[in-house]
Amino acid sequence: MKRLVLVRREQSLRGGQPLSFLIGLVVALLAGILLLVASGHNPLEIYERLFNSSVGSSNAWAKTLNRAVPLGLAGLAVAVAGSMGLWNIGAEGQILAGAMMAAWIAQIGEGWASPLLIPLMLIASILGGALLASGPGIARAQIGVNEIITTLMLNEVALRLLQWLIHGPWKDPESRGFPLAPLLADEARLPKLFGRAHWGVIIAFLVIAFFGFIVSRTAWGYELKVAGSSGATARYAGISLNKKIITVMVLSGGIAGLAGGIELSGTSDRIVEGVSGGYGFAGIIVAALALMRPSGVAAVALIFGAVQVGGLSIQTLGVSSSVSTILQALILFGAIGAGVFNRYSLKSVKREKKGGST
Amino acid sequence: MTSESPLAIELVDVWKRFPGVVANAGATLSVKKGTIHAVLGENGAGKSTLMNILSGVYRPDEGQVRINGEQHWFHSPSDALASGIGMVHQEFRLVPSFTVAENIVLGASEKIIRRSLIEKEVEQIAQQFGLVIDPTRPVWQLSMGERQRVEILKTLWRKAQILILDEPTAVLTPAEADELGNVLRKIAEDGRTVVFISHKLHEVTAFCDEATVLRGGKTVASTLKVEEVNESDLAGLMVGSSPMISERPPYQEPGEAMLTIEGLGTLDDRFLPAVKNLNLTIKSGEIVGIAGVSGNGQREMAQAIAGLRPITSGKVTISGKDLTNAPPSERFTAGLGYVPEDRLGVGLAPRLTVTENAILRCYKSLRKSIFLVSEQAVNYCKEIIDRFGVRTGPIDEPIAGLSGGNLQRLLVGRELSGNPKVVLAAQPTRGLDVQGVKAIQDLLIDERAEGVAVLLISEDLDELLTLSDRLLVMHEGEIVKEFDPANAHRHEIGAAMAGKRDES
Repeated sequence: MKRLVLVRREQSLRGGQPLSFLIGLVVALLAGILLLVASGHNPLEIYERLFNSSVGSSNAWAKTLNRAVPLGLAGLAVAVAGSMGLWNIGAEGQILAGAMMAAWIAQIGEGWASPLLIPLMLIASILGGALLASGPGIARAQIGVNEIITTLMLNEVALRLLQWLIHGPWKDPESRGFPLAPLLADEARLPKLFGRAHWGVIIAFLVIAFFGFIVSRTAWGYELKVAGSSGATARYAGISLNKKIITVMVLSGGIAGLAGGIELSGTSDRIVEGVSGGYGFAGIIVAALALMRPSGVAAVALIFGAVQVGGLSIQTLGVSSSVSTILQALILFGAIGAGVFNRYSLKSVKREKKGGST
Repeated sequence: MTSESPLAIELVDVWKRFPGVVANAGATLSVKKGTIHAVLGENGAGKSTLMNILSGVYRPDEGQVRINGEQHWFHSPSDALASGIGMVHQEFRLVPSFTVAENIVLGASEKIIRRSLIEKEVEQIAQQFGLVIDPTRPVWQLSMGERQRVEILKTLWRKAQILILDEPTAVLTPAEADELGNVLRKIAEDGRTVVFISHKLHEVTAFCDEATVLRGGKTVASTLKVEEVNESDLAGLMVGSSPMISERPPYQEPGEAMLTIEGLGTLDDRFLPAVKNLNLTIKSGEIVGIAGVSGNGQREMAQAIAGLRPITSGKVTISGKDLTNAPPSERFTAGLGYVPEDRLGVGLAPRLTVTENAILRCYKSLRKSIFLVSEQAVNYCKEIIDRFGVRTGPIDEPIAGLSGGNLQRLLVGRELSGNPKVVLAAQPTRGLDVQGVKAIQDLLIDERAEGVAVLLISEDLDELLTLSDRLLVMHEGEIVKEFDPANAHRHEIGAAMAGKRDES
């Protein structure tokens, strides 16, 4: 009997990334054909729409980029914590906290000019996310409370706070009973870059590049990676962990908070219950697919964004949302997951079967 | 074999290889039914691997497993359990929020379980063997000793006829350990068989009927009657006689004192005294060897000197500089190179690249403001690789691909690259192949020639006798005897390792 096992390559394939991406994509699309045919669709028509709606025009690119922004920032938040071996599962709540803080500043600063108001909103959003993540960071550093649980639970706290705001104090009097906050004033909205794509794209790209650089090129980032690889090695090298844990959680929360601020000011234009759009949880997937490397987050987020935009669009052709979701997952894991073969090779080994005597 | 009682366990010529390591190289084990059998050996001797083979966790590459005379080929621990073999691992496998009874029944094949019935059954077994425990208490409230009883009850409740305990006393206080001995005796008297893994000699002579000694994956002594041997014999069997590799370096007059340790005290992981009032001076150009059965404070001593374990009393000085409370990095700058016992996970960070691991000790000096200058890091790494002959793939790849010997060369090379005054090497050649052993030993000899003071902690007696200028034996956290390696007798060293004090 034979079985397949993954064997670590002596060294990674150089420059194999684009190739594995293409091969993985093709395999995923081929598998998707089966899925689409089985569910009674014309694969060609669906794939054409999938492509056109996500990257086929400047309008499509705008949608994809706008989606990639919160995905990338949330992914970065998770990856920054992850490079130290910490799990921030609370990006979703931190996004909400950031959005609420930004909305609050927008209310206070009614009538202020954009160049003043928008930076203040974004700074507030960073503070909001950072504040929400600081608690888990301090608890982890000082008394060893597992940050996975605390960050996860704070998601709920942030969500309830937001629900209270939009059902109560912030409820838009003109919303005809719907739980919505009022629309932001024009000054509080991020200017457009092209089409519907807003300046958040540039901000997110810079933030991701900045942290990618910090983690891979500075002594501080090096200490982070040592600590993430093994706490005992970090102590051996004289790296103190406690302060770093708090700093990293605050930064991670701040990044997620910024995603909330940008999402509010650039896309949703008002606080509603779904303002975080599940990006916080999707960010965990983005970070995992980027192998927890901050520098890899941007590319993954872009692909993720495109797949999401395309996946929504094909539903207008009658593809059910579940089939669309399966297709999205196929493409995502096919295209990005194939990268594993850059580091591992597939070998078939004989299954040891000796039974009775030797 | 004696005819008095039949053999419960026979392991014949068992081989088990892992990438880069041969864990078992023709190990054998014969255990009589109704006895307590000790399996002795130093860390890395292959005890745990052999027991994992017996309990179905691993499958042997070669060799036979016979239970009650019948050959078995276990595919999983539950397979082994079905044949009556239960294992109590070092790390307990219990759910803290479940009660004792719930933990015991967890994973059992019964579909419908009546709580009161299980609790009654557990109570009954507990009483029979003197394992005092309340089956309704949640596990998180229990002490380590009590948790161990739950693990033992788990195997007994599943009707195990053969119990394997992997270093069961490592987590116990001495009183709890004695109590465990009584429990095991009752289990054996009930006609079951107990395999007791340990490297604590006095427990073996106190609790066990027979002993098998493993060294380097091989059985070096099987079914010794414990009544007929003493602790020094066992210690002598456990410590190595690997092929002598490096030449004994020529005599050289030691220089001034480099490392001075006065009245050192430190605690182990359970906050019990591990090292007591230890005094030691190592001079320039001198290798001082520390022998001892592992678990006698060697590890804690090394960690205390390196700054990884708080010092509770005494003073550590390196060439006149008091470093008692200094952090590890300051000790490195002051001239202390430390090769820890745990290479991967303490000395080296497994997921980082070769370069990142090479600069672990000196990255602060490779900074330009906040940035790490990658050219300097790469040059530094290449220097270590060239000078110490580390064979690596690309240096920007994770070190996971390196062999054990090359990992150790990288680690030792890095520690020597700071031009240390004192090198503290804990088990530097353990688990390495012949070439690796020689390379590391030669490096230590070279350092000695250059006037470095070397503290060598090893379980390989030949290594210690070859390399050391002075040989100290540690027992229960104290240095009990000093030997001149040139004129030392193995059995005398063995006796000292078993705790026999220096009379003079």
